[in-house]
Amino acid sequence: MTKYIIKRILLAIMSIIIVSAITFFVMELIPGGPFNKEKATSPQAQAALEARYNLDKPVGQQYLIYMGNIAHGDWGVSLKNGREIWPDMISRFKISAKLGFSAIVVATIIGVILGSIAALTRNKLPDRIIVFFTTLGTAMPSFVLATLLMLVFCLKLQWIPVWNSYNPNYVLPIIALSVYPMAYITRLTKTSMLDALNQDYIRTAKAKGVSKAKVIFVHALRNALIPVVTYLGPEVAYILTGSMVVENIFTIGGLGTAFVTSIVNRDYTTIMAVTLFLAILMVVANLLTDIAYKLIDPRINFN
Amino acid sequence: MKKRILALALCCAMVFGLAACGKGNGKDATSVLKINLASEPAYLDPALNSAVDGGCLAVNSFAGLYTYSKDNQELIPQLAKAMPTVSEDGKVYTVDLIESKWSNGEELTAKDFVYSWNRVVAEETAADYAYLFDIIDRNEDGTLKVEATNDYQLQITLTSPCPYFNDLMAFPTFFPVYQAGVEAADPDGKNPGAWAQEPGFVCNGAYTLTDWQHESSMTYTKNPNYYDADNVKIETLNFMLSADATATYAAYQSGDLDFIDDVPTDEIPNLKDNPEFYIEDNLGTYYAAFNVNADLFKNMTADQAVALRKAISLVISRNDIVEKVGQTGQVPASSFVPEGMADGNGSTYEIKEYYKAAETGSSNADAVAEATKTLTDAGFTLDGGVLKLNGEVITVPYVLNDNPGHKAAAEIMQQDLKAIGIDMSIETQDWQVFLDNRKAGKYTFAREGWLADYNDPVNMLEIFTSDSGNNDPQLGKEPIASAPQNWSEYDALINEIRTTTDFAKRVELMHQAEDMLMDTYAVVPIYYYNDIYMQKANVTGVYTTVYGMKYFMYAEKAAQ
Repeated sequence: MTKYIIKRILLAIMSIIIVSAITFFVMELIPGGPFNKEKATSPQAQAALEARYNLDKPVGQQYLIYMGNIAHGDWGVSLKNGREIWPDMISRFKISAKLGFSAIVVATIIGVILGSIAALTRNKLPDRIIVFFTTLGTAMPSFVLATLLMLVFCLKLQWIPVWNSYNPNYVLPIIALSVYPMAYITRLTKTSMLDALNQDYIRTAKAKGVSKAKVIFVHALRNALIPVVTYLGPEVAYILTGSMVVENIFTIGGLGTAFVTSIVNRDYTTIMAVTLFLAILMVVANLLTDIAYKLIDPRINFN
Repeated sequence: MKKRILALALCCAMVFGLAACGKGNGKDATSVLKINLASEPAYLDPALNSAVDGGCLAVNSFAGLYTYSKDNQELIPQLAKAMPTVSEDGKVYTVDLIESKWSNGEELTAKDFVYSWNRVVAEETAADYAYLFDIIDRNEDGTLKVEATNDYQLQITLTSPCPYFNDLMAFPTFFPVYQAGVEAADPDGKNPGAWAQEPGFVCNGAYTLTDWQHESSMTYTKNPNYYDADNVKIETLNFMLSADATATYAAYQSGDLDFIDDVPTDEIPNLKDNPEFYIEDNLGTYYAAFNVNADLFKNMTADQAVALRKAISLVISRNDIVEKVGQTGQVPASSFVPEGMADGNGSTYEIKEYYKAAETGSSNADAVAEATKTLTDAGFTLDGGVLKLNGEVITVPYVLNDNPGHKAAAEIMQQDLKAIGIDMSIETQDWQVFLDNRKAGKYTFAREGWLADYNDPVNMLEIFTSDSGNNDPQLGKEPIASAPQNWSEYDALINEIRTTTDFAKRVELMHQAEDMLMDTYAVVPIYYYNDIYMQKANVTGVYTTVYGMKYFMYAEKAAQ
């Protein structure tokens, strides 16, 4: 197990270096530059800015300088607004992570419960209702849902302010973010639960007179959760990094908005920082998923 | 199972608990004004800012020598005692200052202006608006000829008389910044804007920044050391940082905002009669530009190129674009210099009608007939409804950045051009790519717009000199045979406008330059910009200028 983990960590570092190189060189190839504006920047200002941020050097050298700085923990400043990237990225990540984590917890708990109910009441009314809503949840894009939630709770019912300068309200964004993964988890749980319930060991357990609840929760559900865990790993990384659409509608300064605007602005240093940060998150999430498999299913052998 | 149910119940409790917290956010407080201008500003340093929303934040948190009055937006002294005294040759300005303080209580003196202005032009600051200081003469060491003759007197020497210099002194780039703060935050000169990145930085305006939740909100609090603090009634300005018009409009409707600077385009028709909906004139022109060096014109004579551009201009329906796309009563443009500009000689610059703007368009038979005649006279043929020259079909690709309004305008133009047998394709480009292509002349026909920085026609005209970074039509830049060959004359005209001491003649020269520009038909003015905003009925005293600046410091809010 230890050997396996060490190997995985080394591979992870390799992946991150490859991601950084690809991003850096591709980013430099896209037309447009960080100092382009509707009213043209003067050649003098352009030259001074390029010199300040080393953009006047060959791309290969820029990459080495950048990676050298990263190795020293220096993430640089944004080319768009001159702000230090690291503290800004962390404060934005905290917000995205808080939202994303809440959303994933809500989605998993409700998803697993609904999925189990649907499996156990297959083709009966509760199952039908759940299938209806999960189909709706998977089909509805988050911006439609977010706008709908805002219309109902902020404008019609006036329970929640659209925007509040001191206590941003996270309820609606959490709902908007959790509906899709919740619907997906419900469907996954239902399918794998049905599969598990037809297995021989369940029949054996039932025949042995094990109580119905124990059969379902200990034997069936535990096995049914493996696909859910597989799904959760990348989904956690994905959802923690923020959603520009939901953040924009609810005016939340998360990482999703920062990433998208940095690309639009050709803010090279921010693009690199956020990409590397997300790559690290993804790699870690995948690693943790694999370890979680082992804990849930002792049959999985790493060697 | 019990645990699960408990967890679920807790989740529900949390959700509704939080929902309850959301209530009672002080919607009725009369000392707090809640505003949306745009999303996160890039720079709060007035020297580095080049955006209109950043300019609005600057005019409310910094004070310059001059400003615009609340009642009629006239130029009035702010930190100056009176309007400047100008030497006989029009080059030396003397400005006396009132005694005023920085927000930390320290005295603000003339030296602060000398420092701040020189900082803008210093190369390492790399300020976008450094060029506005070109009118000020330089010392031998490259610093500006701006002197603090004593603590409260500034003497400024210009290179030539300048009719709009007073206006410039009210522009945010000319605001003073706090030297000790700037230098402490950026000891190695690598990050000139660092001093104004966190709440609490020193300024000298009506409000100071006290809280900043990025991409969410900014809080400005009244500065007790502001020279005119007695007249500032609103204690707190809360800015919602969002560029999502749907979200900001929803916040306005729900009462979470008192002022919004934008509304969703679809809502404009419903808002026209709403007393909370305001339309103000702006100094600027929405237009389309031809690249005079484009391949399209390569096999044409100069006359044919001009005829084609003229015909296209004639059939573009400015009225349709204004009524169906602009929707806020913009005036169709019949000239490049917008309506209402000062002429620098004591009057308003006279708008010449280069064509009848309200009568252009494919639905006007006369306009189509004139366009067709122009084309056929120049040797084009309309063969089965398709425009051809020497047997080759004429197609005009139009590029624009991704924006529903620009796209809708382009579609109207596309329809119009069919009337003279031209198939106009529309290509939407990513903003950065679009800017690159326009600047490098990698386009044929493109969307354009220019908002004036100061109230003088030369600001509109100087963007087309051969060496200007904004000369997207590529006039005078290695012209192909059909492009205007005499553009050095235009450069010379602009130069003469900048240096002449005879302001009456200057007005004439500006008209000459505009005539020259319009004769090329490289620019197709569409409408003069205006600016919309919404403000709750219980709010008074907010005012705006033709540059789109919004002043909130004299606002008042009555209880609802």
